[in-house]
Amino acid sequence: MGDSLARAQAGDREAFTELVECHRGAVFRFARHLTTDTASAEDVLQETFITALQRLAEYRGEGSFKGWLFAIARTKASQQRRHRRGEPETWEPVETLETLARDAGFGAPLNPEELTSRVEQRARLEAALARLPLEEREAVVLRDVEGLSGEETSAALNLALPAMKSRLHRGRLRLVAALRKEAGRDE
Amino acid sequence: MTSEHAVRLECADVLAVLSDYLDGELAPEQRAAVEAHLATCGRCTRFGGEFGAVVTALRRTLGSTSDVSPETGERLALALRTK
Repeated sequence: MGDSLARAQAGDREAFTELVECHRGAVFRFARHLTTDTASAEDVLQETFITALQRLAEYRGEGSFKGWLFAIARTKASQQRRHRRGEPETWEPVETLETLARDAGFGAPLNPEELTSRVEQRARLEAALARLPLEEREAVVLRDVEGLSGEETSAALNLALPAMKSRLHRGRLRLVAALRKEAGRDE
Repeated sequence: MTSEHAVRLECADVLAVLSDYLDGELAPEQRAAVEAHLATCGRCTRFGGEFGAVVTALRRTLGSTSDVSPETGERLALALRTK
């Protein structure tokens, strides 16, 4: 991959194609979680790699290349949402950690088998993830779905590490709460 | 302060660092303190188990899904060829 990157930065389009094929699945997944619809995700995918191609020389190797791509994809998804809704995005966490934990079932556990069966079902997990506030969803997807390190996730989200960790923790708690709520509806 | 209150405070402390614990990002002494609490608190142990199961499932269940379709891949290749 490092070889492809160096060749692509030297202008080798075939090498850039190798990078696209290596990373397009992850970028598309990330875009789909941010936009929650396939057509928009496809637009973000295209715009991300077009921008990456145009700005490839600017990538200096600080942080992973994959993280750099995710940062571009995040910007593209944000631009698309603003364009569609015509409004700025604002978000402030309001719940305390204790409130989130209570909603997530702290002190009132589900049957472990019940929860396990839910998290193994892709559609249920995706639906629960889609209900998270965007800022928390970004952190959860990059860290937990895509497996980026804490530092890579912080860099992709342009956040200090403690701020990213706070969003990640809240997002995880909210995800558990969403899965439990769904479990309650099924009973 | 009642002993029940003290237990709740300890639970709140564990709750606050549960993600760091799960991600292996606590200092050894913090990790040991969390594990000492878990050893005596069924409520935190059960909740930590559920929490960890969800986090682990994210990568396993969603981490390898939805590679781009051949049509999407072709449209992407075409868009890049014209740049």
